[in-house]
Amino acid sequence: MSIDVSGLTKTFPSTGSGRRGDFVALDDVSVSLPTGQLTALLGPSGGGKSTLLRIIAGLDTADTGTVTIEGTDATRLPPQKRNVGFVFQHYAVFKHMTVAKNVAFGLEIRKRPKAEIAERVDELLKLVHLSQFAHRLPSQLSGGQRQRMALARALAVEPSVLLLDEPFGALDAKVRKELREWLRRLHDEVAVTTVFVTHDQEEALEVADEIVVINEGRVEQVGTPDQLYDDPANDFVMSFLGEVTHLSGTVVRPHDIDVSTSPQFAGAVEGTVSRMLRVGFEVRLHVLTVDGEDVSVVMTRTHARSVGIREGSTVWLTVAAGATVVPSMRAASQVEMAG
Amino acid sequence: MTTALLDGAHTPAGPESPQGPRRRRARRATPRNTLTRGAALGLGVTMMWFSLLVLIPLTAVVAAAAEGGWDRYFSVLTNSQTWAAVTLTVTQALLVTAVNVVMGTVIAWVLVRDRFWGQSLLNVIIDVPFALPTIVAGLVLLSLYGPNSPLGLHWAFTERAVTLALAFVTLPFVVRTVQPVLEELEADVEEAAASLGAQRLTVFRRIILPSLVPAVMAGAALSFARAISEYGSLVLLSGNRPYETEVVSVRVLTFIENGNNASAAALASVMLFVALVVIVALDLVQRRVARRG
Repeated sequence: MSIDVSGLTKTFPSTGSGRRGDFVALDDVSVSLPTGQLTALLGPSGGGKSTLLRIIAGLDTADTGTVTIEGTDATRLPPQKRNVGFVFQHYAVFKHMTVAKNVAFGLEIRKRPKAEIAERVDELLKLVHLSQFAHRLPSQLSGGQRQRMALARALAVEPSVLLLDEPFGALDAKVRKELREWLRRLHDEVAVTTVFVTHDQEEALEVADEIVVINEGRVEQVGTPDQLYDDPANDFVMSFLGEVTHLSGTVVRPHDIDVSTSPQFAGAVEGTVSRMLRVGFEVRLHVLTVDGEDVSVVMTRTHARSVGIREGSTVWLTVAAGATVVPSMRAASQVEMAG
Repeated sequence: MTTALLDGAHTPAGPESPQGPRRRRARRATPRNTLTRGAALGLGVTMMWFSLLVLIPLTAVVAAAAEGGWDRYFSVLTNSQTWAAVTLTVTQALLVTAVNVVMGTVIAWVLVRDRFWGQSLLNVIIDVPFALPTIVAGLVLLSLYGPNSPLGLHWAFTERAVTLALAFVTLPFVVRTVQPVLEELEADVEEAAASLGAQRLTVFRRIILPSLVPAVMAGAALSFARAISEYGSLVLLSGNRPYETEVVSVRVLTFIENGNNASAAALASVMLFVALVVIVALDLVQRRVARRG
């Protein structure tokens, strides 16, 4: 295991003078991140994933717990000594240096011979497709180009792990998609152990070999994208990885509900279509069941037409065979809130 | 490997795209007059105000001085008492500016980066030397460093008194120009440098300092300009002793009191020239450092 984190706890003192109680960013987190893989730390904003990444890099210190990188205990090491490459959401470029100087920075700090630095910088700029921009200032680059420069800068020092904190968060949707694919290919080429933080489940599912879902300072689940999607540990993981709806006490994906106009199967729930929305090939239904549940269902336009559904029609809902289902925690949490 | 894909990534002109602002600037650089009626009025008012207050009076001084020709300048400057005043003023102003560059940056750093008790109070007090009537500033310093000094430092009426008074009145300039720039610096840039292996001192020297230099130089220019023109705080503290503590502004006043307006104008225009040279020099330093990586 390349990065081993165990028993990490981190609290931030509350800033407001009136409020009591500290904010718990990480609550006894233990996780192992495999060597040579691309791992995503996925979770909602404020869930502690960035804090975990910053503690691994040594930019923050944990209250308790240990961090081991490539077998050496790094808990007390300053960031300079961890040999970690870090890429920030807002690029963190050195504004007054050219692109080439930015990339060379880490090597100059290490006092490598000039010729070697020039060669390595050349090679890296080629890798991130910025060779023709070597003598530009970062302010003359687009956001995507700046982030690629930041990546080259981090890779220059041959880090044992590469950490990326919401690397595509500040980019527009199109560039983000392209860079995400490019990162995947780059990783296949360079094969450095990489950990990136994201709150975008699509990004994590598409790019990562392994995903660690983090919420409210705790690890909810660790697994491959398929494992997480097909076998979520709880309803949080399930709802975070895609759209969900509630049907007779279970959490299920809206496209995993079968709709029929007659009670064909035992246990089918009767309801009325209260709203019907057509978006391209897709039809989204809101079905109000006799139990008073508002269930959303997604099906193809063709299927909806063949079944003959329209607003106001009475339908029977069943969970499709082979669908991923998780028991609903909604009832439990409501009791908790009341108590 | 993914050339086609990446070429696509370059083309969309996002908000950070470099083409946007540059193209606009290029358009503005065309010789065509682009002033709207409102802008023309604004420019007119600006020029009139500036002329009435600054340009015309300055020209008048230079013209008055020039009436006597080069001989006048020569005779004024070769007067040993005047020359002593000029060298004293310029060296003291340069000395105090150098001190301010260091101390002002340190104070700004402490105010921005550290958290301590009484910080916001200190932040307000920094401006006091600037806000105080300068004659009061002289009085304040006299009480601590004068003949009845409780510290035993009898610096009044010596060259040190000049340094002290100038340092007092110019203290806030560098602090106030550096402070906002320091506040704007992003923490992640320093963190990036640290994770690349740079120690604190290297981060300061290679990352922070280059960003601060323009602000430091701007503050230094203000500080120097203020120092060569200082009068009020020196009157009490330095005693205006010829050859020792007499500065140019006092010398100019003496000329005027003796009805020697032409010499006063000549000396004034010399100081104008000195101020211009120093301010342009500081600007050049700032540009050079800003360009260097």
